[in-house]
Amino acid sequence: MSPRKKKGAEARGEMMQGTLDMLVLQTLVLGPAHGYTIAETIERRSDAVLQVEQGSLYPALHRLEDRGWIASFWGTSENNRRARYYRLTPAGRRQLHHESSRWAQLVSAIGRVMAIGDNT
Amino acid sequence: MSLRRFFRRAAWDRERAEEIDAHLAHMADDLRARGAASSEAGRRARLRFGNPAIVREEIYQMNSIPIVETLVRDVRYALRVLRRSPGFTLTAVLTIAVAIGANAAVFSLVDAVLLRPLPYPHPERLVIPEVRYVTPQGSGTQSAIDGRTWEAITRHVTSAEAAVYSDWRSGANLTSGGQATHVNQARVGAGYFRVLGVPPAFGREFTPDEDTVGGPNAVILSHGLWQRAFGGDPGVLDTTILVRGEGHRVVGIMPEGFRATSDVDLWTPMRASATGQGGGTNYQALLRLAPGATESQVEAELAAAWDSQGRPSSEGVTLTWAVVPLQQSLTEGTRDTLVTMWAAVGLVFVIACVNLAGLLLARARTRAKEIATRMALGSGRRAVVRQLLVESLVLAAIGCALGVGLGVVLLELLQELAGDRYALWQNVTIDWRAAALSVAISACAALAFGLLPALHATRVDVQEGLREGGSRGASASSGGWARRALVVSEVALGVVLLVGAGLLTRTFVALQRLDPGFDLSNVVTASASLEDSRYQTAERINALFEQSLERIRATPGVEAAAVSLGLPYERILNLGFRPLDGEAVAGIAAGRNFITNMTYVSDGYFDALRIPVRAGRGILETDRAGATPVVVVNEAFQRTYYPEQGVLARRIAVSGGEREVVGIVGDVQQGQPGWGDGSGPIRTTPIVYVPASQTPAGTMNLVHTWFSPTWIVRAAGSVPSIDRALSSAVASVDPQLPLASVRGIDEVRASASAAERFMMVLATLLAGAAMLLAAMGIHGLIASAVTERTREIGIRMALGSTAMQAVRTVTIPGIALTVAGLVIGVVLARASTKYIESLLWGVEAADAATYALVAALLFAVAIVSSLMPALRILRLDPARTLRAS
Repeated sequence: MSPRKKKGAEARGEMMQGTLDMLVLQTLVLGPAHGYTIAETIERRSDAVLQVEQGSLYPALHRLEDRGWIASFWGTSENNRRARYYRLTPAGRRQLHHESSRWAQLVSAIGRVMAIGDNT
Repeated sequence: MSLRRFFRRAAWDRERAEEIDAHLAHMADDLRARGAASSEAGRRARLRFGNPAIVREEIYQMNSIPIVETLVRDVRYALRVLRRSPGFTLTAVLTIAVAIGANAAVFSLVDAVLLRPLPYPHPERLVIPEVRYVTPQGSGTQSAIDGRTWEAITRHVTSAEAAVYSDWRSGANLTSGGQATHVNQARVGAGYFRVLGVPPAFGREFTPDEDTVGGPNAVILSHGLWQRAFGGDPGVLDTTILVRGEGHRVVGIMPEGFRATSDVDLWTPMRASATGQGGGTNYQALLRLAPGATESQVEAELAAAWDSQGRPSSEGVTLTWAVVPLQQSLTEGTRDTLVTMWAAVGLVFVIACVNLAGLLLARARTRAKEIATRMALGSGRRAVVRQLLVESLVLAAIGCALGVGLGVVLLELLQELAGDRYALWQNVTIDWRAAALSVAISACAALAFGLLPALHATRVDVQEGLREGGSRGASASSGGWARRALVVSEVALGVVLLVGAGLLTRTFVALQRLDPGFDLSNVVTASASLEDSRYQTAERINALFEQSLERIRATPGVEAAAVSLGLPYERILNLGFRPLDGEAVAGIAAGRNFITNMTYVSDGYFDALRIPVRAGRGILETDRAGATPVVVVNEAFQRTYYPEQGVLARRIAVSGGEREVVGIVGDVQQGQPGWGDGSGPIRTTPIVYVPASQTPAGTMNLVHTWFSPTWIVRAAGSVPSIDRALSSAVASVDPQLPLASVRGIDEVRASASAAERFMMVLATLLAGAAMLLAAMGIHGLIASAVTERTREIGIRMALGSTAMQAVRTVTIPGIALTVAGLVIGVVLARASTKYIESLLWGVEAADAATYALVAALLFAVAIVSSLMPALRILRLDPARTLRAS
C-alpha cells in the first residue's frame, strides 16, 4: 500500500528469498508437509541457527507455488487439524538440484576466499 | 501475476487466513505439549508468527496487478457515487447517448457513401467521363453520352479500359415456373464487370457478340434473384429463362452482396448503338485508367473522340472533357445533404460536450467538500483527479453503449425515410467502424471535459472547503464564469441548428403546399413493364389498355380509370417537338426543334385524375389510330412556347408526326429530374399529352425500355378492395403480365419529396436534441445558483425581500445569457445557412419568420428552464434555511 511498507518487503525478500526458497524445497524432499512443519523442520535441522520468521514463510510458499515448483492440497495433520500441505513437483525437484549445486559452488568459492585470507 | 489469480485473489486470501490459523493452532499445540499454559500458548504462537495481516496483505499484493487494482477500485467507487446522484447521472448519460447515437447513425451513412472507397478493386482508377459546357445561358456538366460519342470513345480512348452502361433502372417481366414476376433490370455492355473488377461468381459476363443489336439473348442474375427465384441452384446457369417475354440464356450469376449503383435483380446487354436509345444521351461510360495512364491523358483522348465526330459547334459554347472519380460521380446528388447532416450532428455533439462540461463543472463544485475531505485525509491530487476522470469515463462508457443502441434505431428510421437513396452499392449498417468511432470520441470527450473540472476542483483550498461547508469551495466566481460561457455557446449553436431545421421544414411545407393540379384522393396506381416481346405492336399494346380498362371500369366502386406512360410527381420522358405554324413569335420559329416532356395517355386520363381542361377538350375514345392525330398540352407548355398568341388549334410535330393541339389542361406537379423551368424537386413543366392509340409502335417500344405505363384507378370513396380489382382486371387480360407495386397516388407524391422529408425529419430531430440540451444547460445553471445562494436568499427573505424578488434575481442571469446566445446564434446562423441554400425551396435562407420563430421558441424555453429551478425558492422556509447553515 504505502511506498514505505513495500520497500521493506522487498529488502527482506532480497536478503532471504533465494536461500529460504531452497531451504523450503529441501525440506519437502522428505515428503509433503504443512507450513508449521516446514518452519519447524528448518529450525530444528539448523540446530535453531536459522530462525525462520514464521510469517514470512507464506509469501515464499506462495511464490514457489506460483512458479510451479511446489503444489498444495488440504489435508489433515498429525494433530487432527485441517492443514494445507505442500509437496515438491518434478519442476521443483529440478530447481532444487540446480540451486543446491549453485549453493555448493558458492560455499566452496567463499570457502576458498576465506582460506586465502587465513594463510596471509 | 496471472489474471486468474487476480480475479480469484479474494478467495485466495480467505484460504490463506485459514492456513495461517491452522499454523498458529499447530504452534500452540506444540507449545502446550512442551508445557506452556493454554492461554499463554496462543499468545506466544502469535508472537513468533508475526503479524498475519501483513503476511496476507503481502500475498494479496503478489496476486494483484496494481494498475488494474486501482482502476477497479476507482470504477467501483465511481459507480457508487453515480448511483447516489441519479439525476446527474441520468442527465449526463442521456446527453452522451444522444450525441453518440446521432453521430453513429449519420456517420454510418457518410462512411458508407462518402468516406469508404467503393468495394471494387482499385476504385481510385475508376472514372466517369464528363463534359463541362459553358454557354451564354449558363454552364453545367453532363456525364450522359449518346451512341455516337460512345463509339468514338471506343475508337479513341486507349489509355483506359472502357465499358458502356445505363444508370437507369427499369422494370422487366420474369417468368419462371409458370409464375410471372416484376423485377428490376439494368443494362450493361460487354466488359462492364471486367472494368469494374467484379467478375460473376458463376459463369461469365456478356460477350461482345451478345452485346450487339440482334445478338443472342443473354442475362446475368443477381445473387438475390438467383436465391429467390431459382433456389440458388447453379444448374440454372446456361439454361434459358423467360425475360421480357423472350428466352434469355443465363450466362452469369453475380456474387452475393454485389451492387453497382442500385438494387438490381438482373442485367441484360446494353447493345449500344448510334440509333434508337443511342440516338439520345442515354448511356454512361465507365473507364478504368490503364496502369501508368494519367487522367489528363484520358481527358485528351476523350476530347479527340469528341472532335472526331465533327459535330457542328454552337456560337459561344465551349466544351471541355474531364474525368471524375466514379464515387464522386455516383454521390453527386447525396453529398451535399450528407455533409450538411454530418455538420448538424457535429453541432449537436459540440453542444452535448458543452453541456457535459457544464454538468461536470457544477458537480465538481458541489463535491468540493468531499474532495477537500479526501485531500485533507492525505489523498494526493493525482489520485483525486484520476478518480474524477474515471467517473467521467464510466459515464461515457454507459452513455456510449446506450448511444450506439440509439444509433441503430435512428439509422433504421433514417433508412426508412431515405428509401434506397443511400444504399447505393452496399447496405448501410452500424459496423465496427462506427462503433469504434463512438467509443473513441466518447472516451476523448470524457477525458477532455472531465479533466478541466477535475483539475479545477482539486485546486481547492482544503481548509476553506471544509469550513465553508462545501458550498463555495472551488473558487465560485471562475467556475460560474465558465458555465455562463458554456450556456451562451449552447444557445448560440442551438439557434444555428433550429434555424437550419426551420428552413428545411419550411422547404418541405412549401413543397407540400404546391397545388398538385389534380385530385389526389382515392386514386390507386400500378405499373407493368411492356418491354416485352408480346407487346411489340401498337395494336397489342392498345388492346391490352382498352380491354383491361373496360374491365376495371366495370368494377363496382370504380369511378374512372385510365392508362398513362408517366404520372404526376414523377419524372417523365423528355421529347423534342417542332412548331409547324409559321406565325410563331419571339424565339418560337417554325421548323426549329424544342424540348418538352411527353406522356401518352388513354382516353379518360384527365377525368381519372380530375385535371381540369382549360380550353378545347381532353383525349377522347374517338382519337384512334387513323383519326386526325391530336395532342393536348398543358398551360405551362402554352406559357413557355406560345405566351401571347395561344396554342389551341396550332399544329406541332411530336411523337411520330404532325398533330393538332385540341385542348389545354391545367398544370400538374412533376418530379425531378426532368426537362423544364425551375429546378425544385417538385415543379410544373411543359407537357404534351398524346393519345396512346395514336402513338407509333416505334416510339412505344423505345420508351418502354425506360418507362413502364401506369394504370390509374379512381374509386368512388375509399374502397379497400380496389387494389385487388385492379390487379385481377389486368391479370384477366394477360395473366403473364406482372404488376409492379400497387400504390396510392399520395405515395407517389410522398416519394417525390422523400429527400426533403428526410432532411426535415433529421434536422428537426437534431435541433430538438440541441434545444433540449440547451434547456438542460440553463436549468442546471439556475438550479445550482439557487442551491449555492440558498443561504443568501434566506437572509434576504428574512430581511423582508419577497419570494418573487428572489426568483427574479436568480432567473435574470439565465435569461440574459439566453439573449446573448440568441444574438450570437443569429449571426452564426446567417453566416452558415448559405451552405444549405441548395437544399431550400420556396423559402429564403434569410427567412425572417423562421428566425423570429426560433428566437421566440428558444426564449420561451429559456424562461421555462430558468423558472423551473427558481420556483423552488417559493417553497423555501427562511428560518429553516438559516438554521441549517
